[in-house]
Amino acid sequence: MNQRLRTLALALVAGIALAVLLVVVVLPRFRPHVFSGTVIQSQTPAPTVDLITSTGERASLGDFEDQVVVLYFGYTFCPDVCPTTLSTLKKAMDKLGSSSDDVQVIMVSVDPERDSPEILDDYLGFFDPRFLGMTGTEAEIAEVATVYGVFFQAEEGSVDTGYLVSHTANLMVVDREGHLKLIIPPDATADQIADDLDYLL
Amino acid sequence: MTITDTRVESIGAPVPRPLTRRPWFLVAAAFGVLLVLGALWFKIFEPIQVLPRIRLAPGFSLTDQSGAQVTSEDLRGSVVLYTFTYAGCEEPCQAPEPTMAAIRNRIGEVDLGETAVRFVTISFDPENDTPEVLNARAGAMGADGDQWIYATGAESLMKPIIGSGFKTYFERRDDGSFAFDPALILVDGWGVVRGEYRYQTRSPDTERVLNHIGILGDEIRNSHGVTGLAYEAAHFFLCYP
Repeated sequence: MNQRLRTLALALVAGIALAVLLVVVVLPRFRPHVFSGTVIQSQTPAPTVDLITSTGERASLGDFEDQVVVLYFGYTFCPDVCPTTLSTLKKAMDKLGSSSDDVQVIMVSVDPERDSPEILDDYLGFFDPRFLGMTGTEAEIAEVATVYGVFFQAEEGSVDTGYLVSHTANLMVVDREGHLKLIIPPDATADQIADDLDYLL
Repeated sequence: MTITDTRVESIGAPVPRPLTRRPWFLVAAAFGVLLVLGALWFKIFEPIQVLPRIRLAPGFSLTDQSGAQVTSEDLRGSVVLYTFTYAGCEEPCQAPEPTMAAIRNRIGEVDLGETAVRFVTISFDPENDTPEVLNARAGAMGADGDQWIYATGAESLMKPIIGSGFKTYFERRDDGSFAFDPALILVDGWGVVRGEYRYQTRSPDTERVLNHIGILGDEIRNSHGVTGLAYEAAHFFLCYP
């Protein structure tokens, strides 16, 4: 009788341990990924971006085939949201480790008048030398920004800053197949961005 | 003739139980079948319907009928129904505004919770449609300038905004009139296009657009926590109306 009770107790303990293991370790692995950004189910390729890069060449999204591209619209004189977002992106890239080689961060300048390729290169290199800048004529930038849902407009600043440019600060993520896949809000954390990018990779 | 009894032969050297009769396999198989049946049930009966997230709506800065600036950022957070026309659109030109007005008159039937609904009619004729002209047109159509606004912008940006952004055709004819698609485009608070109602494919009847705004309202009100996962599943299984 004692033997049977002991066996029963052992089976009960083993069963509970197994259930805990299932809930804590196994089930989370099967939990679907919940994007922190908004998923777009676009069947058509992401709108064309064909501009001058911070390294001086002309490049388009097609040149980053097989990479996940994170597009950000900002400018180097930006006092607050741009440096914050770029720092967060740098942290997200660090969290991704070696996988970050398959991610290309591109900042399209909404201030082409002041942001020459060289200035963009210097500015982005401060955050991460792998980040790429893009610029072009005002008309080219306006066209690209419009189709990516980005509004921008020059506004009065101070003597120190010169004019400012208010702009939409979302991150747009284009997947390896060239489809616009995610819109990430500017207040997303590095962990959230890294998780979303990691899933897409 | 010798009769061989396999059971007798197996004594002393037990034959391993086939894989398909092992308890863990049966449990895993039952779980798999349940999962597949659940997915099929979700796809066939569509307990939750959602509108597809089609693409990003364009970013813009326009001038409304009062001469004030209106940007895509000002409209972020609201559900917005867009139409495109020009003030010179008179019979037999097919104006989209009567459908817009009918939807606006019945928008109170739809529960969008705290989310505001805005109606925006964009003119692709900035050369002639000054704020005064737009104001007169808005008045004739019953647009109040608050919930329903008329706006236009720089001529050079009309094609990028309406053509490339909203994927809506318009072209100036030699006589100064326009050929255009009197489409209605539904955009959510994230600035994502969720519905396109085009005359050349299907008449955008009021009932259908209102129903879709209602579906969007359900998603906005309920898409959080566990129900948020169910809504994402509905997107994954393309449970579209």
